[in-house]
Amino acid sequence: MHDFTYHAAGSVTDAAAKAAAGEDAVLMAGGMTLLPTLKQRLAQPSDVVDLAGIAELRGIRVEGGAVTVGAMTTHDTVASSSEVAAAIPALAAVAGHIGDPQVRNRGTIGGSIANNDPAADYPAALVGLGATVCTDRREIAADNFFTGMFETALEEGEIVTSVRFPAPEAAAYMKFPNPASRYAIVGVFVARTTGGGVRVAVTGAASCVYRESAMEAALEGNFSAAALDGMTASADDLNEDIHASAEYRAHLVGVMARRAVAACG
Amino acid sequence: MVGSLGARAGLYECGEVRVHPTGSVTFFTGTHSHGQGHETTFAQIIAERLGVDIDAVEVVHGDTSKIPFGMGTYGSRSLAVGGSALARALDKVETKAKRIAAHLMEASEADIEFADGQFTVAGTDRSVGFGDVALTAYVPHNYPIEELEPGLDETAYYDPANFTFPAGCHVCEVEIDPDTGAVEIVNFAASDDFGNVINPMIVEGQVHGGIVQGVGQALLEGCVYGDDGQLATGSYMDYTMPRADDVPSFTVSTRTTPCPHNPLGVKGCGEAGAIAAPAAVMNAVHHALSARGVSRIDMPATPARVWQALNA
Ligand SMILES: Cc1cc2nc3c(=O)[nH]c(=O)nc-3n(C[C@H](O)[C@H](O)[C@H](O)COP(=O)(O)OP(=O)(O)OC[C@H]3O[C@@H](n4cnc5c(N)ncnc54)[C@H](O)[C@@H]3O)c2cc1C
Repeated sequence: MHDFTYHAAGSVTDAAAKAAAGEDAVLMAGGMTLLPTLKQRLAQPSDVVDLAGIAELRGIRVEGGAVTVGAMTTHDTVASSSEVAAAIPALAAVAGHIGDPQVRNRGTIGGSIANNDPAADYPAALVGLGATVCTDRREIAADNFFTGMFETALEEGEIVTSVRFPAPEAAAYMKFPNPASRYAIVGVFVARTTGGGVRVAVTGAASCVYRESAMEAALEGNFSAAALDGMTASADDLNEDIHASAEYRAHLVGVMARRAVAACG
Repeated sequence: MVGSLGARAGLYECGEVRVHPTGSVTFFTGTHSHGQGHETTFAQIIAERLGVDIDAVEVVHGDTSKIPFGMGTYGSRSLAVGGSALARALDKVETKAKRIAAHLMEASEADIEFADGQFTVAGTDRSVGFGDVALTAYVPHNYPIEELEPGLDETAYYDPANFTFPAGCHVCEVEIDPDTGAVEIVNFAASDDFGNVINPMIVEGQVHGGIVQGVGQALLEGCVYGDDGQLATGSYMDYTMPRADDVPSFTVSTRTTPCPHNPLGVKGCGEAGAIAAPAAVMNAVHHALSARGVSRIDMPATPARVWQALNA
């Protein structure tokens, strides 16, 4: 690990100021991705600004048919929250299937979405539910937040403060895990929104989370697993690695989507 | 034994039993315990044989500044070969201790019987405890010093007369999700003949560990290199180590036919699971897939491979 200066931030404003003052500063949430990156010397920041002490970034609020999750809320807190389980059970399920207990106890929603790993689970929930990402500068619709592999709409020094999820009529997430890492080889989040719309968000399959618009259209007419019979994703731009070919991933998108629709009840 | 097969080496094992003046015992072994529980198994053998408390036995292994030269732990040999060396060293300890006991009780060596830590003159109620004999060996006052060296510290080497032949049967049941290719082991039962079993819980643990390793080989683990020679499975993010939730609860049992040619009547048990499980798992996978016309699939039968075989 290269040398850096550590800063503990007391508030969002304080964190923003400290990050801006550093020559090449990074924010740290639970450090689950950041610290291994530093240890392997894949990054060499001048300053690390720790968000762990900022109380306003933690916690879950349910009001007006929406669940707001603070950026520093851990996966375990979301997974075990009775409020989340009541309002959007599929969201609790997504958090509960991330990694292992150690990862869930330190990893955060803010860190997960800011990192935007192509195989991460939360991006599917955000896009599937049509969530809104709140930062210290603005609000960004999930559809516009995830812009590419490990890329987001966040600007230099912009801090995610929370994510607001509208409660859907029904939603479910189906994940086919990578046998080794347990990240998603393919994860599909399906939601029937209160306005009657349908969202199908796919993670793990491509370089970035995306929506399967053909499946959404098929489900809008007939919200049943049968409506997706025979449908797969196009393998053209899908990931290929030692665990899964593009064709296999394309097939799994169809399987997971049908299972998610069936699980919506 | 292996020398006669052309190995040009004797794969003996060595053990030193050092009885202390207090009657406690230290056993120095050339085999090494890295999780197999030799500290328990060897101590049990010593405690049972000498009638001392198991807490009074210490097993020293792996420290080359202390232990005699040995061959180590491999080939499920530690108990069958190292344990046999221990049994031979204990024979020597008992022989010498009987001579000391005979002297103490002014009896003939041939009349001394040893059981439950007591030396008794056959047919009488005269007896002396193992601890008293140990103390006498090191504080030789009333002692046949002209005929017998003091001390109670014996070393033995054991070169096995033959291999041991554990045998068993492992049965595996799998369910395959044809939509994803994922294989789930829903049942696994194993019955093995390891000869005499010294510690059933340790044996069961060895079989569990072996089966999980075998399941890893059959379904999960594999080193993959890229076309450029770069290892693609360089961390556990890509190399699938078997984990607890990859396997069901196993049903394991043992049947005992003592090994006829070593003093403890024991056979190797460490590798049984790792040897039988891959075959059992792959037979189950093949059986399930043969109904769909698949005649061959290689290890590891990962979901991607199984799905590909089903859709070839
Ligand atoms: C072994 C292992 C298994 C995992 N398995 C899964 C899995 O199955 N599914 C899954 O989805 N994820 C998985 N993860 C990822 C995990 O869920 C974490 O969420 C992720 O690693 C981010 O960690 P973190 O929250 O501690 O953020 P950090 O590592 O601290 O930060 C990650 C990045 O986000 C930035 N950042 C952090 N917080 C903010 C903020 N509030 N505003 C702006 N930028 C911010 C940091 O600067 C950094 O660049 C796994 C991780 C590990 C180590």
